[in-house]
Amino acid sequence: MTSTAVQTHPPVFTTVAPDDWKTLAPDNWKLAIVVGLGVSVIACIALPAAISFWIVAAMVAMVAGAFSVNAYRRRYYGGLLVSPAIAVLFVMNIFPLLWSLGLSFFAYQSNQQTIRFVGLGNYVKVLTSELAGGDVWHALNNTALFVVLTVVAQMTTGFLLAMLFAKQFPLRRYLLILVLTPMMLSVVAAGVFFSYYYDPTFGLLSYFMRVFSGNQFILMDNKVGAVAGIVFADAWMWSPFVMLLVLAGLVSVPKYLYEAAAIDRVSSWRRFWTITFPYIRGLLMLALLFRTIEAFKMADLVYILTRGGNDTLTISYHLIRIANEQNKTSEGAAISYVMLFIVIVLTNLYLYIANRRSVEN
Amino acid sequence: MKSKTRLERLAAALGVVSLMTLGGAIKASAEDVVLHMAVPDWPPTRIMKDMFDKEYKSTSGNKVTLDLDFIPWPDFYTRVNASLTSGEKKYNMAVSDSQWLGAFIEGGYFRKINDLIDADPDLKKAMGEMHPAVLNAYATYPYTSKNFYGFPQFPDILVSYARKDIFCNDEEQKNFKAKYNKKLPCTGEEFDDVDWQLFENIGAFFMRKKGDMLAGKPADADFYGIAFQVGKGYDFSTTSVHTFVWQAGGNIWDETKVPDGHAVGVVNSDVAVKALDHMLSLIKYMPPLAKTGTMDIFKSDELFRAGKVALNVNWIGLAEASLDPKMSQVADKLVFGQPPATRGADGKLARWSQIGGQPFVLTTWNTDLINKEAIGFVKWWLSKDVQMEYASKGGQSAMKSVYTDPKYDTFRPWNRAWAPGLDWQKDMWHIPQFFEILTQQQDQYDLAITGKQDGKTTLDNVAKFQENLLKEAGLIK
Repeated sequence: MTSTAVQTHPPVFTTVAPDDWKTLAPDNWKLAIVVGLGVSVIACIALPAAISFWIVAAMVAMVAGAFSVNAYRRRYYGGLLVSPAIAVLFVMNIFPLLWSLGLSFFAYQSNQQTIRFVGLGNYVKVLTSELAGGDVWHALNNTALFVVLTVVAQMTTGFLLAMLFAKQFPLRRYLLILVLTPMMLSVVAAGVFFSYYYDPTFGLLSYFMRVFSGNQFILMDNKVGAVAGIVFADAWMWSPFVMLLVLAGLVSVPKYLYEAAAIDRVSSWRRFWTITFPYIRGLLMLALLFRTIEAFKMADLVYILTRGGNDTLTISYHLIRIANEQNKTSEGAAISYVMLFIVIVLTNLYLYIANRRSVEN
Repeated sequence: MKSKTRLERLAAALGVVSLMTLGGAIKASAEDVVLHMAVPDWPPTRIMKDMFDKEYKSTSGNKVTLDLDFIPWPDFYTRVNASLTSGEKKYNMAVSDSQWLGAFIEGGYFRKINDLIDADPDLKKAMGEMHPAVLNAYATYPYTSKNFYGFPQFPDILVSYARKDIFCNDEEQKNFKAKYNKKLPCTGEEFDDVDWQLFENIGAFFMRKKGDMLAGKPADADFYGIAFQVGKGYDFSTTSVHTFVWQAGGNIWDETKVPDGHAVGVVNSDVAVKALDHMLSLIKYMPPLAKTGTMDIFKSDELFRAGKVALNVNWIGLAEASLDPKMSQVADKLVFGQPPATRGADGKLARWSQIGGQPFVLTTWNTDLINKEAIGFVKWWLSKDVQMEYASKGGQSAMKSVYTDPKYDTFRPWNRAWAPGLDWQKDMWHIPQFFEILTQQQDQYDLAITGKQDGKTTLDNVAKFQENLLKEAGLIK
């Protein structure tokens, strides 16, 4: 009885019978793939790139059309509705990823007209060669330093700000808007602002420090100062983001739990660990994940504040120099994939820890 | 009679048709042509655009419009590079730094112009009039060969900018004489004779704290003796290091000696190391920003215009703003001269210096019509009258008939340093690997400027990198 009542969707790609793949029909996606592949390969071989590009694009559109007609005829409306999103994701995200992955196995420079297959040569070069590898490892070390320092600074500041703004006090709303403002600025604007703030001749920081030391203060004339300057600017911009997430967790804690804790005379420390923290832990992990990924990609602030000077070159800024300035596209693609690998490992590590904690609780 | 009338009517009709066709042809031959050009956003290109819009009329009868894409200097290379390598074919012409020539010629983006010059006697004459240092740097690839790719747009050299009100102050003159037993320069001619020793003395002498006396008044802020470019970005420290090395008798890797010339032994020679150490020793007399590795041409210009520095060495291209009271606190207090030089044992000054300025180039995808109109525009631009007018508005010219004209030196206070300076200009590399060499060199110089490594280690690292890279590229045997 139950089994007959359950409606099952027929497989979406089987309108045309397997032996009918040669039938000319608008929903024959198998034929569309065969024709599309054939025409694309011939166009790529026989025609100039400027023409073959559009022919391949037309073939992709034809195959997508065949899938759509097939799905429509099979009444697979769910699939049809999400297909535009999948198409955009493919064009904007998946295709460039695959394309750059392919490029990383070739010797190709964007300002030259030649391309040559080198297998894993670019990976070996960027990780081990004397000419290129040293810079990559050095930049990765610097990046790790920035990730640790900026994330710790942002998480701590953001968390403390959230604890503050979870309470009610006069002008809270206006102060909250003020605290959120840095997050809304462009990184370039913030970078230029801090470059003047730190300037030893014109800068406010030097002006204030002079009151105590009697001399101009040069923050960024050594690595410690330069790193501190960048970390502070980044924390100034992104601590409000962490604060927003944590604040969302804090306001979601039911008040009766605190009331019950008060009746039981629970200490404030215990109240925090047993009531507050479980509500914000997931959001803290999310903030940690987002900020770690972003910190790993840091390039803009470094570019504006030090140009990578004072030994502050990060892997993203190094990548910009390799791929955009020196036009070493394939080498840049290989570095990108090394970065992607590290980010994926980090992300999975976070997710693993987060999931393990959830299971334990 | 009847047939004659028919013939007359037919002839008349043919006449009308012929006239209409001819009229149509004349109308069709006058086309709207737009020249799209990428240019840095600064006075030399703004002046050119203004002059073009007001004065230029194509001799072909076509209506030619110059569409300039003004790009801020810090983004200029990135934007032009991205446009060219993306294949968008947006620009018909571009202002290009001379160092980019090799990379973009080998990539197939910049058009060789020998045929266009040879086909046009006026253009050939104009190019023949160019100062050889400018022509070699801006037009040739390989460097100093007879293959031409660029026309000078804005030639540029380094000059000294100095505060007349301070240098000519009697009290400062007296104190300087007492301390160094030398005359503190005051006139343009005296600044022409400044060597590095005197430059260092000036640097040390004018280091004043807030409240110290400066030209008879207490200084309202800390004041510094000297400034020049030693920044991490683009080619800022490289420009200064090359100048010091060349003047000391050293050299950079010489691209005209491919494949026998080496980097190791040349770039890190004892003379070069000494020259770099000399440059590093002067940083302490500069505004403290220099110690952070971010003292570029814009920062040193800004500090000088804000009245914080006595003597600044910078490109002429940035000088116009220093005379504008809206942008400069020292607009009415300036004197200009040739940049500091190295005095030899015979007392003569070696003034070798890194050349600045830019050529403009044609791109390879231009149609014949676009090239024809572009050449028409270039011919107009490189004509004597136009170059004189450009110079009168603040531009510079490398054409001999222009810069030797007696009026030329009267246009701007720095023009008197122009012609003598041209003879001492050299350029860095034009090879496709130039950006790799440049960025590694800039990284290494930054470590030296911020005090993390000494000059010898710095140049050893630079030489080793260049030797390996250029060997890999087949440019060193």
